[in-house]
Amino acid sequence: MTWLLVVAGLALAVLGVMAVLGQAGSGAQPWSASLSDNFVLIKTLPFILGLGVAVGLLMARTYGPKIRSDGAIRRWSPGTVFGHAVLTIGFVLALPTGMWQYLGGILDVHPPFPLYLLYRIHYIGAAIVLFAVAAFMSYLWMTGDRSLLIGRGQWGRHLLGLAYELPPPIRAPYAKLLRVDLSQPRPTTGQFTFYEKVVEFPSWSILLALITITGIIKAARYLVPVPGFVLFVASTLHVAAMVGIVVKLLDHLRYTFPRWPLMAAMTTTWVNERYARLRHPGWQQAPQGGASPERRQGAGEPSGSGAPGVAGGSDR
Amino acid sequence: MANLAVAYFFLTSAFVAKTAAKEGIVAQLSLLLGGVLIAGFAILLARECVRMFAPADAPTEA
Repeated sequence: MTWLLVVAGLALAVLGVMAVLGQAGSGAQPWSASLSDNFVLIKTLPFILGLGVAVGLLMARTYGPKIRSDGAIRRWSPGTVFGHAVLTIGFVLALPTGMWQYLGGILDVHPPFPLYLLYRIHYIGAAIVLFAVAAFMSYLWMTGDRSLLIGRGQWGRHLLGLAYELPPPIRAPYAKLLRVDLSQPRPTTGQFTFYEKVVEFPSWSILLALITITGIIKAARYLVPVPGFVLFVASTLHVAAMVGIVVKLLDHLRYTFPRWPLMAAMTTTWVNERYARLRHPGWQQAPQGGASPERRQGAGEPSGSGAPGVAGGSDR
Repeated sequence: MANLAVAYFFLTSAFVAKTAAKEGIVAQLSLLLGGVLIAGFAILLARECVRMFAPADAPTEA
């Protein structure tokens, strides 16, 4: 049934995009190349989002905990790995072209090629990002996976865990600012590190929401009337989100490069047993049937000791 | 290096770009903040990359 939906979604998307491109390429439209591309993007958007939702249903079928015979644990589902790869391709296309447009405008520098080509690549990247966002929304809806969200009553524990993952020079100011009691024992790390749950996932979610919503408003402005003030705010926030994504991307790479097994897991889906045992001791017990330390601590039991092999404040 | 180049353009534009000057102090401050953040995180990333290829003789912090 899911496959049928995906095939139907793909067929509709292909037909829709072909019809829109046919209109744009017919020569009957009076618009410039840049404006024509803008129309192509906004008219194909429903098909792209629809296909994303259908593919998200397919991605959801790959969800579920798994342990390999050699003890390796599945950290990400194949669906998530696929969505992450698609999102990366989208950003590789959309981010440099967006930055070029912005800086070109600020510096009043014109590229040595027609500007509409830059916009065209930006729109293709934007379409890929929107497809991935729709797929992830559908995936999360279908699987009900909330493992990257912080549950009710868990914030204190997560802020404490994050404190121990921060470099010592900023740990004390951070603890003072957020009133985190550092005399408490370090909570054990589960499937995801505290940095991933407190900083990475929320910031990416906010930035993605901001860039997609403001981007759609900007792209739709020639199709539906958008008040000048709304367009000004959307344009400003779109640029702010772009800068935020550049900063977050640098931080994301800074964080994941030294944790190479986690980086590899985003392509293979697996984390080897030893790494999981050493760096994510709270996660390993969950797939084996027992309640994870994460849950036990959430139920009011005292926190365990620091994660083995991560003493000294680093989770590496 | 590309990120540092982007940061450089942000930072210099905050002071000399005519477009930003016309848009006002908020636009200039935004460029300044964006440039500082991009430069800062680009340096942190470069530091991590250097650490990755350096011999691991002591535990390091996140």
